[in-house]
Amino acid sequence: MTQPIEFTDASFQTEVLDSDQPVLVDFWASWCGPCRAVGPTIEELTKQYDGTVKVGKLNIDENPIAPSGFEIHSIPAVLLFKNGKVVDKLIGAQPKERYQEAISNLAA
Amino acid sequence: MTTKEKPSQRSLERMKNYVDKYRKKSGTSGHPNQDVTDAVVSGLAAHVDEFGRPLCPCNYYPDKQAEVDSSRQWFCACDEMKQFKYCHCLLFVTPEGLPITEYLPEDHEGRQIYGVVEDPTPERGREARHQI
Repeated sequence: MTQPIEFTDASFQTEVLDSDQPVLVDFWASWCGPCRAVGPTIEELTKQYDGTVKVGKLNIDENPIAPSGFEIHSIPAVLLFKNGKVVDKLIGAQPKERYQEAISNLAA
Repeated sequence: MTTKEKPSQRSLERMKNYVDKYRKKSGTSGHPNQDVTDAVVSGLAAHVDEFGRPLCPCNYYPDKQAEVDSSRQWFCACDEMKQFKYCHCLLFVTPEGLPITEYLPEDHEGRQIYGVVEDPTPERGREARHQI
């Protein structure tokens, strides 16, 4: 998988919450400037962690149900899920190293 | 209409003019990456078309119509901008493209993301600072 997965309200349970792999989800919207800024970083992470972490995006305008249970307000909001639970939440367009650090912490 | 669709030219022009004027008023700049500004202005214009109000496009609202009906907090320029001169949408920033964070509470996410970013024009903006 070399491109981020496009998660939806319909796929969120099976693709994210029921996933055997850790999952990174970028909650974004097309009209959100900082979301666009972080987009290339998410694509790089997809390639870097191919096979170990499932990386994807969820458009909150098109999929307004899935984000509702995770206390998301500002976007972009990048959440890391492990065994169906949120283990980290990074708000705003952050440097790539912050996401890598959060993924590294998954193994701890 | 949903915010996936292209906003009207009329609303786009209205928001571009507003953003230009508010930057002058607040002493802030545009982001060096023009795509960031263009996306946010389009989102504001799309919300004007859909809801009649420039609802911030950089937030998640479980129900946008309910948000518009209940509060002006996230109409651009939002309360955070008017009080703290902080724009998490990166529409009103320093010349380097960073949001001003020096007036935010220390536990605010903006301080955690960007650290302390000083206001280069402290004599301008923050028209609602008395409401903090």
